[in-house]
Amino acid sequence: MKVYDGSQTESAQQSQPERIKVGIAEYRVATDSAVLTTSGLGSCIGVGIYDEASGVAGLVHVMLPTAEDVEGGNRAKFADTGVAALVEALEAEGASRDGMRAKIAGGSDMLDFSENGPSIGSRNADQVRETLTAFDIPLLGEDVGGDHGRSLRLEADTGDFVVKSANTESTTL
Amino acid sequence: MNVDIQSLGTFNQLAHEGAQQATQSLAQMTGIDAVVDVTKITLLDRADVGEGLTGSEFVGVQFGFEGALEGETVLVFDTESADTIADSLMPGASDDPAMAQSSVTEIGNIMMSGFIDGWADYLDSTIDHSPPEYIEKSGKDVLPEAPESDEHQQVFVFKSEIEWVGESVNFYIYMLPEYEPLAEMMMEHGDPEADAIPIDKLQTFNEMTTNGTQQAAGNVEMMTGIPTDAEVTEISFAPIEDVPKQIGTDTYVGTVVEFTGVPSGYLMVLFDEVSAVNVAEAMMPVETDGDSVTDQHKAAIEELGNIMTSGFVDGWANVLQTSVDHTPPRLVHDMGRSIVDPLAAQVGQHQEHAFIINSTMRTDDVEFNAEIHALPNEKELREALEDLDVERADETEADVEQIFE
Repeated sequence: MKVYDGSQTESAQQSQPERIKVGIAEYRVATDSAVLTTSGLGSCIGVGIYDEASGVAGLVHVMLPTAEDVEGGNRAKFADTGVAALVEALEAEGASRDGMRAKIAGGSDMLDFSENGPSIGSRNADQVRETLTAFDIPLLGEDVGGDHGRSLRLEADTGDFVVKSANTESTTL
Repeated sequence: MNVDIQSLGTFNQLAHEGAQQATQSLAQMTGIDAVVDVTKITLLDRADVGEGLTGSEFVGVQFGFEGALEGETVLVFDTESADTIADSLMPGASDDPAMAQSSVTEIGNIMMSGFIDGWADYLDSTIDHSPPEYIEKSGKDVLPEAPESDEHQQVFVFKSEIEWVGESVNFYIYMLPEYEPLAEMMMEHGDPEADAIPIDKLQTFNEMTTNGTQQAAGNVEMMTGIPTDAEVTEISFAPIEDVPKQIGTDTYVGTVVEFTGVPSGYLMVLFDEVSAVNVAEAMMPVETDGDSVTDQHKAAIEELGNIMTSGFVDGWANVLQTSVDHTPPRLVHDMGRSIVDPLAAQVGQHQEHAFIINSTMRTDDVEFNAEIHALPNEKELREALEDLDVERADETEADVEQIFE
């Protein structure tokens, strides 16, 4: 697990908030007023969870719905284990489960060639919602589905979740 | 010679960890926050190594290494990042060429020692390396000569891209091992019972992809009147989650199809926006106003993408002597990574790693780049390569090695 507490780099001392990039099948947690970003979400989903009281926030970029049948491997790749891993990491940094709030974006149906059943994007979204419900974490905002890609950023200190598409203005959840 | 998928995965991971170690050394010494963005193993023609570096000036350090693996490795920074690195080590160093050079050499030495030691540790043997040599060159000249081999026109290259957090600069670690020791090492570390890829057949596959790209380039020329050359064709291997990173975050216009047969998979034909406008206008009777991508441009791109796809897929099917069908093209206009992301996810439901076939074409007349990326089902690609073996065995005279296999 990678935790940035702001003491590791000199850049954190500058006035600009630290930007932490979250790649595909990765998660990151921030304990200061950092900005967590991820880009290139197609059918993938970015799940941002924050706890205002403790100021701890995290973002996971999941790719596939469920880790069942997969042994070992990277938990952050899947919606179910990715959300669980993020919640654990947030708790390890002092966030309380009761205070956690979630916002999600992605899960596009673009370029889904599967002829049977729902798209990977919508299955990802369903799985994320189900896992959040299981953890009893309220989902305060979502921008999912459609046929376009998204990039997003989570501002750790406010919980603002800014979603941008290639061809539209950004919206804040 | 066969290499199993697991050992390709392991070697990729090894290169990735080596690059991470090198990046951590950099962070410790300079306070520069950098992360390894992507690591891949690529098989490509010797002459094409480093094509992506064209147009920039680089400095860096180069080592030779020998032992369990033999070859050359290089760490390169663009000149601007090299200055920043020198200054972070000793303020003002970038103003003094001698000092800048020694800073880069020192950093490079430490980073690359970590990189090489990581390999040796894993392989549980020794890899010696020569003293670092400072280099300063432009474009692909900064890379060492790919190892010569009488038998192999193509080489394996391990490439890691390291991204400097918050800056738009990258630097690269290239490792160019000699073919034979690498192939032997991969076999030794592989599982003989596991699903294996005949690597000689991968080279044949690459060659036939080149044919496909040439056909597609021919189609572009026919449709637009713009003389177009097939440039680089390569096949890379990476974890599925790294597949979308193969394509930039810029906006692209293009087409995507699913192809079926052996192998099945997805094929993208992508143009950056400027190229899309240029190539579309070459196909249209009248020029449109403005630089933006209009519906007219997109319709032209859709037609062109369809024809390029057919050319490319036919090129494959001819050599494989199978039929490969594809769906009608779907037009896309989005961020590159978002386009690849759902395709990688669909392939990723059944496999941990993926082969990615990348081709580019260019023209000197107008600003125009087209990229073709194919993402085949790994298991089916393996089957196709096995069939390729059978076909060739039928066509050519008996090969002693094959008889006694």
